[in-house]
Amino acid sequence: MTATITEARPALAGRDAYRDELTRIAGEDPRVLCLEADLGGKNHPFQRAHPDRFFNLGIAEGAMVDMAAGLAVGGYRPFLSTFAPFAALRAAESLKLTLGYLNAGVTVVAPYAGVSGAWFGTTHHCLEDLAVLRSVPGVTIAAPYGEAEMRAVVRAAARSGKPYYIRTGRNAAYTSLPGQDDELPLVAWDSAGGEGEPCLVSVGEEGTRLALEARERDPGLAHAHLVYLDHDHLARAAAELAGRHSRFVVVEEHRREGGVAEALALLMPRCEVVGVNAGHDWPAEGGDHHEVMARLGFDLPAVLSAASRLRAP
Amino acid sequence: MTVLTDVLEPVDSGPATGQDLLAERAREARRLVVDMAASPRGCHLGGSLSVLDILIASLHRASSGDGTEMVLSKGHAAAGLYAALYVNGVLPENPAPLYGMAGHPYTGHPGPKVPGVRFPTGSLGHGVPYAAGWALSRRLGGKPGLGIAVTGDGELQEGLVWETCQVAAAQRLGNFVLVVDRNGGQNDGMVADVSPLPELAARFAAFGFETAEVDGHDLAALTAVLSGDRTEATRPLAVVADTVKGKGVPAVEGKAASHYVTIDAARAAKWKRAIR
Repeated sequence: MTATITEARPALAGRDAYRDELTRIAGEDPRVLCLEADLGGKNHPFQRAHPDRFFNLGIAEGAMVDMAAGLAVGGYRPFLSTFAPFAALRAAESLKLTLGYLNAGVTVVAPYAGVSGAWFGTTHHCLEDLAVLRSVPGVTIAAPYGEAEMRAVVRAAARSGKPYYIRTGRNAAYTSLPGQDDELPLVAWDSAGGEGEPCLVSVGEEGTRLALEARERDPGLAHAHLVYLDHDHLARAAAELAGRHSRFVVVEEHRREGGVAEALALLMPRCEVVGVNAGHDWPAEGGDHHEVMARLGFDLPAVLSAASRLRAP
Repeated sequence: MTVLTDVLEPVDSGPATGQDLLAERAREARRLVVDMAASPRGCHLGGSLSVLDILIASLHRASSGDGTEMVLSKGHAAAGLYAALYVNGVLPENPAPLYGMAGHPYTGHPGPKVPGVRFPTGSLGHGVPYAAGWALSRRLGGKPGLGIAVTGDGELQEGLVWETCQVAAAQRLGNFVLVVDRNGGQNDGMVADVSPLPELAARFAAFGFETAEVDGHDLAALTAVLSGDRTEATRPLAVVADTVKGKGVPAVEGKAASHYVTIDAARAAKWKRAIR
C-alpha cells in the first residue's frame, strides 16, 4: 500500500504520521501491535481503530521493550513508541538484547530525538541515540524527513519483520521531499550541485531542513539526504556519495561522536568529511527548538560556514 | 494471600510423568550440574541446585504442549537449566562436557542458540518481562499456555521485575506466573543482609497477584501449583518457593560458598555418589 499525501491538508508531524500509517497497516496485518509507555496521547488513532491490539503499558519503558520481545517471539509484530531518551538510553540494554541479540521483529519509534524537546530540558533531549543504536548490529536505523518518508519507513518495517529504530521529532511538520511515496532511495539527491562543489549530507528532520535552507542560500552546493543510518545502509550510501563528490558536510542533530559524520569519514577515507552537529554542550536554558539548537551551534550559519571552509583552497 | 497448594488438585501423574520419574530426572540433572562444576569453567552450583526442582516442574508443564514457555530469568543458573533440558529430552547432547566450551552454545548464561531456550537471560530482571510478553502473546491469540518466569530472590532487587509486575497486574495477565527460587543467597552474601525482601508474598499480593508459598524442593507441590489452566484467570500468579542453596549435594547444601564452584573430577564423583 502506498500513501497518498494530499495537498489539501498540512503535512503531519513524524510521530503523527507514524501513528496514522501504523493504524492503516494494522487493518491489513493482524500481527501488528501498538505499544506505548504513557506518551502516546489520549486520542491515539490506533487505539480507536484497534483497541484490542493497543497497549498503554504505563510508564515502564524497559518492560515494554522486553515484553515486545516476548510478543515478537510469540508471532506478533509489535511497534512500540516512547520518547527517544527513554527508549534509546533508559532501555538501551533491552534494545541491545531484543533488537540486537534476539534480532526480534520489534520496531521502536522514538520521538523527541535531538533537542526537539527544547524547553523541556536535558532529560527530554536525546543527542546520543544514533551512537547507541548504530553500535548494535542488525538494527535498521531510520531518521525520516517529512510525512511521506515516515510512512514509507513504517511500511518497510512492518513488511520486514526485522528490528527497526525510527527517530523523529516532536510536533514540527516538514514538507516531504519529492519521490518518496514508496520505495525510498538509498540516497535522495535533492541537488546535484556544481562541478567540484561541496555536498551537504542531511540526516533527520532538522538536519535536512538546514541543508535545504543552505542550498537555497548557496545554490552551488550539492545536497544528498539519507534516511537509513545503520552501518549497512551507510556503507552502500557512501559508495554512491564518493562516486559523485569528494568533500562533504554532514548535517545531523546529534553529538559529534557516534553520529553519521564519523561513520562516513571512515567509510570514505579518500574524501574530506566534516560535521555540523550538536557538539558537546548540555543545553540548560529554555527556548524553542531552533533556539536550543542555536545555543549548541547547530544552525544555518554553521552549515554555510562549514561549506565555505571546504571551498577554501 | 492465597496458598493455592491447599486447594489445587494433585498433578495428573500418569505412569510416564509420575512424581517418581520427575524425582529421578531431578537427581540425574543434579549429577550433570556437578559435572559442570567439574568443568574447566566451574559453574554457579548453589543456585543451579536450588532452582532445579522448579525447573523440572516448569518443564514438565511446558512439555504438555499447551504453549507454556518457561524463562529462566536467573540466567546464572544456566548449568541447572541445561541439565534440566537434557533430562527432559530437549537437548540433543549431554551439555556437561561442552559447558563453557568454544564451539558450543552452553555459555555461563543461556541464550537462544541453546535448543529449548528462546530468550537471553543473565542480566537480571529481563526474563520476567520476556515471560510476560509471551503470556500476552498467548492471550492475544486466544491460546492456552503460561508464561513462566523463574527468578532468584536476590534478582528481585532489580527494578525491572517490579516494573513488569505492575504492568502484568494492570494488563490482567492471569496466564503469567512468576516463580521465585528463594534460596536466600546472592553473589556477595545473604539477601537478608544485602537488601532484604520481607513479606515477599504479601508484596506480590499488594501488586494484585495471586500468591502461593511452597517448598521449592517438593516436586508434587510445584507441579500442582503450576498445573492450573489459567486461561480465564485475571490475576497473575506469584509462587514463592523456598529452596536451599546447593540442594541435593550434601557437601555444599545450605552453604553460601556454593554460589560459584570449581571442583576436580574425583570430588565430582564423590559428590555425585552422595546425591539421593
